[in-house]
This record gives sequence, C-alpha cells and structure tokens, in this order.
Amino acid sequence: MPSDPLRTKFCDMLGIEFPVIAFTHCKDVAVSVINSGGFAVLGEAMHTPDDIASDIKWIRDRIDGKPFGIDLVLPASVPPADTLDQLEAKIPESHRKFAREIKEKYDVPDPKGAIDLHTWGGLNQQMARAQLEVLLDERVPVIASGLGNPGFFLETAHERGIKVFGLVGKARQAKRQLEAGVDAVIAQGYDAAGHTGAVGTFSIVPEIAAMAGDTPIIAAGGVTTGRHLAAALCLGASGVWTGTLWLASRESDIDMIIKERLLAATSADTSYGDSISGMTMRVLDCPWTQEWAKPDAPRALPPPYQMLLSADYIQGANDNRREDLMTEAAGQGVGFVTAMKPARQILFDLVEEALAAFEERVGELA
Amino acid sequence: MEQVKTQTSDARPGFDATVTGKRAECDGGHAIPGTRFAGRQEFTGTLTGEYVDHGEPAWRWYLLTDLTRKPDGYLDDSVWCESGNLFILDEGKS
Repeated sequence: MPSDPLRTKFCDMLGIEFPVIAFTHCKDVAVSVINSGGFAVLGEAMHTPDDIASDIKWIRDRIDGKPFGIDLVLPASVPPADTLDQLEAKIPESHRKFAREIKEKYDVPDPKGAIDLHTWGGLNQQMARAQLEVLLDERVPVIASGLGNPGFFLETAHERGIKVFGLVGKARQAKRQLEAGVDAVIAQGYDAAGHTGAVGTFSIVPEIAAMAGDTPIIAAGGVTTGRHLAAALCLGASGVWTGTLWLASRESDIDMIIKERLLAATSADTSYGDSISGMTMRVLDCPWTQEWAKPDAPRALPPPYQMLLSADYIQGANDNRREDLMTEAAGQGVGFVTAMKPARQILFDLVEEALAAFEERVGELA
Repeated sequence: MEQVKTQTSDARPGFDATVTGKRAECDGGHAIPGTRFAGRQEFTGTLTGEYVDHGEPAWRWYLLTDLTRKPDGYLDDSVWCESGNLFILDEGKS
C-alpha cells in the first residue's frame, strides 16, 4: 500500500491535503473545509453576477490564497419561451385538483409572500453567460459546470489560469468533455442528491476512469463515509464530490428542521421522482412526493408546469417551517449522516475512516 | 415569470447545412427554478441546421425538431440544444 493512499493526483493538481470536494451552497462550510485541507465548490447557479462577485471576495478574504471552486448550472437544453400566465393556463384542471386535495389533506399553509418562482426570472443563456463572465474576470481557481458541457469556454479559462471541472451522468458526456480538455471530470451516480443520471456510482466511476488517462476522475453520488472514499479511490477515482454530507454540519445555513430530518433519515427515506419539478431528482420524502407516487395520482407534468404546481406547497411548507411537510434534496448516503458536527470534524472523520478501511484490507491480505 | 429565451441581445442566428436532417440525441437539462438544483432531460430528434451563437467565445445552440423522444408531457416538438451536449446518431457509438 502507498504510504499515503489518500494522496492522489487530484491533491497534487490543486495542492490540497485530502481528495475531498465539498459541494455546498454555504460559504461557511466551504471556508471551513478549505482551511482544513479539503477542497470546496460553492454552488452559485441561482445567484446574480453581483452576488457571485461578492461571495468570491468573501471566500478569498478567509482562505489565505488556497484554491476554491464555483459551480454554475450551464443549461444544456431550453424549451421555447412563454409568459407566466401562458404557462399557468396550460396546467390541466385534474392536476390543479390533485394539488388542492394534498393541500387540504395535510393542511398545507399558504406561502407568507409572493411565490419566489414567479419572480425568479429564469436562467437563460444570457444570464448564464453573465455569471460565467464574473468567474472568468475574477480568475477563480476552479469553475465547475454542474450540467452543461463547459467546452466552449475552456480555452479562455485556461488562458487565465482557471481549471475547469465538468459534472457528467453518462460515459459519452465524459468522453466529449475529456476530448475538449477539462481538468477533471465528476462522475455522478444515481445515488446522488438533486439531479442525477440513471447509472449507479459503482458503474459510472470505473467506466469513466478507464477512459480518462491522466485526467482526475472524481466520484459523486452516495459518498458520506470514509469507506465510500476508500472505495471510490479503488474504483479509479482520484477524489470524491460530496454534498449531502455537509447539509447537517454546524456551519450549514439550512433550516434546523431540515438538519434534524436529515440526521433522522435512513438511505430509504429519499425518493427519486419528478413530482417537485417535472425533472427527476432525489429528495427527502415528504407528503407531496408520497402522494404523487401513488398509483392513482396524475402523471407529473414537465417543467416548468410541475414546478408551478408544487411551488405553493414547497414555499408554504418552508415559510411556515412545517417539519412534517418540508423537503430538501438529499442523496442515498444520508443514512450515514447521524450527527451535527463541525465541517472540519466531518472532513477529518472521513479521512480517518478511509485510512482505517485501507489498513483493514491490507491487514487481511498480510 | 419570463421563461428561458432562445433569442437574446447577444444572440447571432446562423445555419449549418452540414448537420441539416441528421438525427441526434440531446443530453439536455437546465436549472430548476425555485430550487438550488438542476434536472436532466433527454431528447432525440432531427437537426434543422438552424443555430444560435451566444456571446464570445461563441456558445452554440442547435434546433432539434420532430422529436421522437422527449420527457413525458413535454408539450413542444422542438428544443434548443447546446452543441456540447448534442450527439449525432450516425457518427457511430460514442
């Protein structure tokens, strides 16, 4: 066994101590992980360019020149345009009736203000470009593309000394991005929170590692323990991308009710479905997902219609902090998230568990 | 809510005859409004050859029509697909 099995080419590429990426929407989590020897990528897809610039400065002021990343969701397909009224008019009455029945059955309160979704404005190509320009101008160390192919801006990024990571759910997407010259590929399996492909982590990681040559492959989806980290490295990954792991950390800024639900959840308490947005995503079970999963429920509508339908429930639950109704994206590894620890401790526990797992195997082979 | 646009102020439409009529798959998707996440969507259809370039360096989007595969309930028969996520079917297994 190498003297330090956790020292990978990904660590060498970024000059970090541990091959662990924290994907988070919380700046405090990111800073803690970075200052503890890991790497962090801050999700900024829903932020304005000005907010992104402000967040970059906030992080830079606290990490003493260490590397960090920013994640954007570059769109990969867009439907034709419509106004809110036109969209609302296309929602069938049968679906509206079903949503009303859920609201009555579970006594779902009304949102306290205007529904965010109605005023959000959308993420079109122009907005995505404006977000991207901030990252290029700021010369952030790493740009991670959470969905679309980053090939079109790779040359510009590299000219400015920026590394680019691409997140993929299929081998052919990885092949395309590797050919374009990305600096790392995040291979995301079905276990993951939020949007996933249909291929499991155990299958997609070695498949993409086999075609990657010297480019680091990062395993994503269900990684919440040191054993997962050790297994990912054995599958050919050079690191892990973790999200759910940090949601219940002390620094995390999500609602305490959600933290408590995450800590109580088992791997069977997430559902993979399209009832919230019309796109498949993995979330903590809640009455809304359970009702739409029943055999007599209508089929979920495509986006954006299903989002318009679920927005009243989601925001009503969140605004009124109804524990029995709230939900959050979470991966299947949530079952191992059992204590609210500081992010630094989560990272160190992950590393120690991985080293112990390697030692255990070596001991058995000796 | 103003939904996604296919024509923006920095958009430059064009036509690429070399892809016209070719069957293609799109590994698509976009951010999910109201959440912090995104969703994937898959399409199969025929390229018209129409494209739009956004910004500089050009971010190219192709129009895929006559969709034979699209998400359940997808109401339109066309979709704009980012060129890096478009896979032309007669180019062999990729």
